[in-house]
Amino acid sequence: MENYAPYLSAALAIAIPALATGWAQSRIGPAAAAALAEKPELSVTVVLLIAIPETVAILGFVISVLILLEGGG
Amino acid sequence: MLGPIEQLQPTLGRVQDLGLVHLVQPEESASLQLLGLTPEQARHVRGVRKVAEDVHTAISLLGGGAHSKGTTQDLTLPRAALIAGRTRRQLEALEARRQDLEEERALILKFRPFFSTFRKISESGLDLDGIRVFYLVLRNDSEQEVRRVRAALRQTLGDGFELLSQPSESGEAAMILAVPKENGAKAELLLSEAGVQSLSLPDQFEGQTVGTAVQRMQTRLAELPNDLAELDTERDRIARERGRDLVRIRAYVEDHLATVDAMEKAAVTPRAFVLEGWIPRAARPELEQRLYKTFGGVVEVEEVSSEEWSAETAPVVLKNPRLFQPFETITKMMPLPKYGTVDPTPFVAVFFPMFFGVTLGDIGYGLMLASLSLILRFRSAPHSKLRSISEIGLACALFTIIFGFLYGELFGDLGHRIGLHPIIFNREEAFFPFLGLAMALGVVHIVIGLLVGAATLFRKDKRHALGRGMAGLMVILIAFALMAAAGMLPDRFFTPLVIAALVALPVLVIAEGVLAPVELVSTLGNVLSYARIMAVGTASVMMAVVANRMTNAFGGVVVGVICALLFHLVNFALGIFSPTIHMLRLHYVEFFGKFFSPGGSQYQPFRHWSPRESATEERSA
Repeated sequence: MENYAPYLSAALAIAIPALATGWAQSRIGPAAAAALAEKPELSVTVVLLIAIPETVAILGFVISVLILLEGGG
Repeated sequence: MLGPIEQLQPTLGRVQDLGLVHLVQPEESASLQLLGLTPEQARHVRGVRKVAEDVHTAISLLGGGAHSKGTTQDLTLPRAALIAGRTRRQLEALEARRQDLEEERALILKFRPFFSTFRKISESGLDLDGIRVFYLVLRNDSEQEVRRVRAALRQTLGDGFELLSQPSESGEAAMILAVPKENGAKAELLLSEAGVQSLSLPDQFEGQTVGTAVQRMQTRLAELPNDLAELDTERDRIARERGRDLVRIRAYVEDHLATVDAMEKAAVTPRAFVLEGWIPRAARPELEQRLYKTFGGVVEVEEVSSEEWSAETAPVVLKNPRLFQPFETITKMMPLPKYGTVDPTPFVAVFFPMFFGVTLGDIGYGLMLASLSLILRFRSAPHSKLRSISEIGLACALFTIIFGFLYGELFGDLGHRIGLHPIIFNREEAFFPFLGLAMALGVVHIVIGLLVGAATLFRKDKRHALGRGMAGLMVILIAFALMAAAGMLPDRFFTPLVIAALVALPVLVIAEGVLAPVELVSTLGNVLSYARIMAVGTASVMMAVVANRMTNAFGGVVVGVICALLFHLVNFALGIFSPTIHMLRLHYVEFFGKFFSPGGSQYQPFRHWSPRESATEERSA
């Protein structure tokens, strides 16, 4: 049987952080929209707040690539 | 500034002419009272504010029509109020008329698809006298739908209705329902329950037969463009005749209001006045010279010694070389830095476009971005926000092209196919070198942030400044130790580097406290965050490669090329948006967090009003 573990691990390494990021952003998005409706001057803060959870997905992507190159490549 | 009370007004005039003093309210004491306004002056100010409102509204309604410059010498307030009030009323009446005409056109356009249908129905001899008529539209023109509506009507109204239907040109069914007036409400309820859309005739056609109404609507539709053009002509006439006056009035009333604001900041004793404010040090001799020339030493300027004021209250102005000025737009999106701290604009001007270029790094996309930026630059007004954005875009495009050459990329791997070779590495394959480059940039950026923070702290808190510098040193030591461990540096460096880091750690703890190691871990986390440069960059190049492969993936070359171009366009849009957001984040969160102290108040000197000042105020609001 072919060694599928690196591929599965790489997939999980990006999938789980991506889901977590999506969940976090789904909570931040509506709150940010509500805040912007009342205080449009908060736009920069809002962009930052939405971008912050993306770090998790980006690090997941990097780990995923590392697994593929080291284990599956 | 100190002088006899009768010289307050002329002094304010000279200070306003100079336009360099940021006035603040002095503290009141038993002998020093704020001047304030008498009830009569307050009433007068309300009048001036009303004129200001009128003139701003009139100018905004004129759009670009009012831009001539003029002097305010022969202008009096009553005349200004008369012109501004009358012009505002005329323009608002024109605007209301324009809105009415636009609404009328929109309503008629809703009916237009059904004109011929309703006319045919009306020609069928339906007698509409004494009955209520509904104009209905069925989205689905199938016989079955019409039968369903007819059956529902029969069930509620019996035979007391007439329903005529006709498929319209737009694929919907137009229907006219006529019911006795007493059954109107029942029919209305039934139609709304059945979800049948009812069109209401515009007011002026109410009560007319369908044939007449349709005919009249067609005539109006032809007339409306002329009516709207007449309104434009009238507005242009007003702009020609009064645009220049309005611009003069705006400057006049704004100057007047600025003087009133300044008066409110003056403090007086029974015989003298005191004005307090901030002025750039280099401009102080000029202020003294001008006041001396006008008042001959009666009005004194005195500098408050730096021990008597706190830096917290000093206003701030960002001053950068022309090349860096566009990047103040990015800095100004955050609150202004405090007085005496570092303005991050020069760092942003170097690192923002560089990081953008490292991420996007493609000659083709760089050229597209440069073209877009140039178009935006020529179409934007000088000193406007759009002009700054276009210039930032040009800097980003330049770095994108440079790194495109270094990666050998032109619209992804198209560059390799036409003989362009990567100079540093090929991003399609070299994940580790790209990650290393991103991390190295992160280390440099964060260390610079820490060192700037140390330099800022040095004047007031040397211990914390040492701690900040030590944190920077430890980041460098750890980065080099990791490089030695990974074989990128000779092995023999590893042990000395680790020992140096271990020696530096206690110094860091002594300088910054027991939480310093936690802070250091967080700083190392900040460096990891720069991995996004590699992640976003790799995603961008892979998308471009996929776009290029589309040329052979759809059978026909033409379809493939069109799909590839569209995909490149999408990738280009993402390639601008995504790096911008991420680079902003790297600056605001990771970099600014190391030294930036927000909370400065904007330097707003008391000066004559100008349209540029208004634009600046709008930007900073």
